[in-house]
Amino acid sequence: MTTRCARLAGLVLLLALGPAGAATLRVETLAEGLEHPWSLAFLPDGAMLVTERAGRLRYIDPQGDLASEPITGLPEDIHVQAQAGLKEIALAPDFADTGRVYLTHACGSRQANALCLTRARFAEHALHDRETIFRTRPERQGSAHYGGRIAFLPDGTLLLTHGDGFVYREQAQRPENHLGSLLRLNPDGTAPADNPAIADAAPETWSYGHRNIQGIVHDPATDTVWVAEHGPRGGDELNRVRPGGNYGWPLATHGVDYTGARITPHTSLPGMADPLWTWTPALAPGGMTRYSGDLFPHWEGDLLIAGLAGKSVRRMVVDANGVDEAEILFRDRGERLRDIRTGPGGALYLLTDYADGRLLRVTPAD
Amino acid sequence: MVNVRHQALRAALAVLAALVLGTVAGSVIQTQFNLLALVRIGGEVTLTQWLVVTLQDIAGFGPLFAILLAVTLAAALPVAGVTARLLGGWRRSLMALAGGGGLLVAFITIDALAPMPTLIAATRSLPGTIAMLAPGALAGWLFAHLTRAVHATEGRP
Repeated sequence: MTTRCARLAGLVLLLALGPAGAATLRVETLAEGLEHPWSLAFLPDGAMLVTERAGRLRYIDPQGDLASEPITGLPEDIHVQAQAGLKEIALAPDFADTGRVYLTHACGSRQANALCLTRARFAEHALHDRETIFRTRPERQGSAHYGGRIAFLPDGTLLLTHGDGFVYREQAQRPENHLGSLLRLNPDGTAPADNPAIADAAPETWSYGHRNIQGIVHDPATDTVWVAEHGPRGGDELNRVRPGGNYGWPLATHGVDYTGARITPHTSLPGMADPLWTWTPALAPGGMTRYSGDLFPHWEGDLLIAGLAGKSVRRMVVDANGVDEAEILFRDRGERLRDIRTGPGGALYLLTDYADGRLLRVTPAD
Repeated sequence: MVNVRHQALRAALAVLAALVLGTVAGSVIQTQFNLLALVRIGGEVTLTQWLVVTLQDIAGFGPLFAILLAVTLAAALPVAGVTARLLGGWRRSLMALAGGGGLLVAFITIDALAPMPTLIAATRSLPGTIAMLAPGALAGWLFAHLTRAVHATEGRP
């Protein structure tokens, strides 16, 4: 009942004007009272799973009602502090047959922690047969820059983003460890034999020189992997990732440190991939989705990126000439947005990043 | 009366000089640690780039560090001054110690309060942290040195 009232109360009409033409959007609050919701996955029956960074997995039924009790069976060693906590939830491509889900979370203690990838079977409002199949190396101190997003590739492997741990930024240039890298794993957490040949790299390393990737999508139309990553103060990046690539951090960046100090004299270096788009001042990109659906046909194939500090969604148009920021959506709402997903019916779903966070659904108003 | 105003002006100028020296020193030191960290991972930085970044950081990093140093000195130097009076000497040493120690407390405090684990990148390592205390010590020493005549006329060491 509370949820339904909130949904009605949260019904908002929003006018967003962009180069593609005026579009009237309806933004509806589906659920509220979520503690820093981080990720969202759609179950085949229309229900949803939502992670809360505080270490809970929540269930929203096909009618949009939030179950009062969290899903049981989560890992016991979730490290919750600052940016650390429960992060991604992703259904395995064969979920319909196996019921398998993947979760990422910070694991360990403040003094020694890592990013863990856990696999489990979801059934009857609980996780079963849970196993942590991968743990990043080395362990680090502090509770920042975990990455933690997952994308599945057509060959059945998965990509796992891992941040630089903030205080270990130079380690992003050392592919022999997992800090500041994009990792490619088999579904059981092992390293595929055909990962790119990078000198001295860890077997899981797919690309490196990343700061903190929190948005990743695989575009099936072009077999392209896109990532959105946080820069420091400015210099947030949208990158098209190629296997074996070095994306420059911290030797090359368009951002400066939070103190105003230069991190490097370089914005571009030979042998390192330049971003296709940068944001200064910072957008602080959260999740990213490649839109494909019937509700917003003029967005077909566009990348939509949620902004935390930027408090908006950026619609990026990709074509043969490169990338362009076509539209800034939801800026007048002034909310930190952690994740964005395209739902099965073509609606957009947003998670707001607050202690009293919300799940929003966006549909055309008319 | 004129003498009091003269002493106050002199003390104010001493604070300003200490702040400027400490800020520039702190900025230059942190730049060297940051650039050395890049060189250690294979980054190439030409001499010109090194100098340009060092100068840019004085403008970019300097204002924040100046505020941090000013707050530190405002809290630490009076304590050092009172201690020196009680001990009957060691004023310059105590003020240098207070400036450096005060910055250590400031770094620990700001890292505990700021959202990021370490605000100033140069303080991520022990050598870097120790080096970044030097500007506080230098500022404290300079303030004590420039105001020594004030205290001499007051009959204090």
